[in-house]
Amino acid sequence: MLGQGTRLYWAIQWRRNEGLGALFLVLAVFAVIYAILFPGILAVGAMAKFVQGWFPTAMVAAAETMVMLTGGIDLSVGPMVSLGSVVGASTMQGPLGIFGGVLALLALGTSVGAIVGAFVAIGRYPAIIVTLALSFVLRGVALLIMRRPGGFVPPSLSEFLAGSHPTAAVLVVLLVLLWKFYQATPLGIGLIAVGDNAEGAYRSGVSVTTVRISAYIISANLQAFTGLYVAAQTGSGDPLIGEPLTLSAIAAAVLGGVGFLGGQGAMRGALAGSLLMSILINVMFFMGLPLVAQYVVQGLIIVATVALPLIRASLRRAS
Amino acid sequence: MNAVLRLQRFAATYSRSLVAYAIVAILWIAASLLIAGFGAYAHLRYIVELAAVIGLVGIGQTIAVIGGGIDLSVSAVITVTAIILPLVTFDADATGLGAIALALLVAAGIGAVNGLGIGYLGLPPLIMTLAMATILQGLLILIAGGSAISVTNPSLDWLGSTHFLTISVSIMLWAIVAAVCLFWLHGTRSGSLIFAIGANPVVSRLSGVPIRRLTLATYVISGFCAGLAGLLLLSMNGQGYVGIGDPYLLSSIAAVVLGGTSILGGQGSYLGTIAGAVLLVTMTALITVVNASEGWRSVILGCLILAMLPLSGRDQSR
Repeated sequence: MLGQGTRLYWAIQWRRNEGLGALFLVLAVFAVIYAILFPGILAVGAMAKFVQGWFPTAMVAAAETMVMLTGGIDLSVGPMVSLGSVVGASTMQGPLGIFGGVLALLALGTSVGAIVGAFVAIGRYPAIIVTLALSFVLRGVALLIMRRPGGFVPPSLSEFLAGSHPTAAVLVVLLVLLWKFYQATPLGIGLIAVGDNAEGAYRSGVSVTTVRISAYIISANLQAFTGLYVAAQTGSGDPLIGEPLTLSAIAAAVLGGVGFLGGQGAMRGALAGSLLMSILINVMFFMGLPLVAQYVVQGLIIVATVALPLIRASLRRAS
Repeated sequence: MNAVLRLQRFAATYSRSLVAYAIVAILWIAASLLIAGFGAYAHLRYIVELAAVIGLVGIGQTIAVIGGGIDLSVSAVITVTAIILPLVTFDADATGLGAIALALLVAAGIGAVNGLGIGYLGLPPLIMTLAMATILQGLLILIAGGSAISVTNPSLDWLGSTHFLTISVSIMLWAIVAAVCLFWLHGTRSGSLIFAIGANPVVSRLSGVPIRRLTLATYVISGFCAGLAGLLLLSMNGQGYVGIGDPYLLSSIAAVVLGGTSILGGQGSYLGTIAGAVLLVTMTALITVVNASEGWRSVILGCLILAMLPLSGRDQSR
């Protein structure tokens, strides 16, 4: 028999799916279309490749969601991923090898996240302008380290992360599990509370500043390691490779119902949003649509997925 | 209301904007003393000319932000205008004014679609304008491909190169549009309602504010102003290409925030955005003087904006 707490937990979890129905439906439809168009995707190898294509977007969507849930926003995702790829690719030839690279990325993510967190949580400056300014700084630093794509990623690491193994799929599962774990800690519980009602959270004993700063630190680390993953995929560091990811991250999060004002939405929505965009790009590629049509369709799908529930709600009100 | 009280209220409302002007003044004076040629009239005029593009985009962005929204499609609209104008230039239209009118109509039309989606469908501004930018990007690649399109338009050349009493026509254009915008925002009823919507949309709706129509107007204005900026940019550049408008999305938002308008809506003034635009261009000019590499330029600009934050005011409510 289920305890009351457990039942309450699942009831709340189920309620958080509200408003995501349209997204899940569209996602399912496109997944089926994709599987029909390209049955080979159901094989393990092809699936592994697909997940590898999706993984960076999923990571940055998760990173953006953490920050947006606290009521902030991160406009420096793309440059941070680029910087991560550059730092990763330029530190792994050192004496410490892969381990040294990972250490450097941890240091990078933690320090950048702490800086943003300090500005936003302690200085109380708007996250949108802090991260906008930071995006210039990070892009500049990446260009200073590496003028053009280069550096070195050990082939073994590339093979492990982006080779024929389904490592990326395991990492996605790990990401979700870690998120669930984080949500069970005081900092994780405070995350949504702070975004929804900072004053109320503070009065209830949540350390608003700590919650915000840790959210930015974790988010920046996710972005830095996305950079490492991208570097492993391409085999080198690239100071501009992450640029499109800023908008993808925000689009995936908003598509997934994560609100601009904080406290609204769930990680599952953002991940589903990023998956939908990834599948869309693949489906349109296999249908032979030109790049032009891909942009247009992507824009329309984003609008439609968000607009449909709104239209339905207004129709319900009218009748 | 007596004069002192009025002055106090003015200072309280515009203190953030005034800070931005003070920073610009200090930077200009210091740079003029330290760097030879910086304080020359022609150079300062050039800075303001460059700022006019950001300033024009900033008009729509300021109104959108004050109304509680944001317009992420401005860069795409700039590019659309800069690419459509050369394409619709035809021989019968000797002055080129017809082509300009058509390009501005397209820009305002894009804004209208944004406004309909946000105001009437209730889409979040962030997602509507982002999706619009994505769609436009696709269409632009279709229309222009990777090539730059040159333009020959007499009116546009006139806009880009004429001076009246040593003041550039482009600066005058900016001044006129800015004056109209300031009058609308602060001097009319519908303008003040924009602040009301941004401050509290629910109360505004319950008080009978025509939110939908005003939201539509906001984004039409934003599209139109981005179109004007596109024209100005094209007149300076001589050719349009995909990506010409890209830098102006972030710089328009930066100008708005540096000018003291709250990103959360309901508070601010275009007066500050003007200073914010000039400030951004001034900082870029200073960095160019130092002759830094691309990487350093980017780092310095970012650090400068971060350093400006304490001066341009913090977010009180969050």
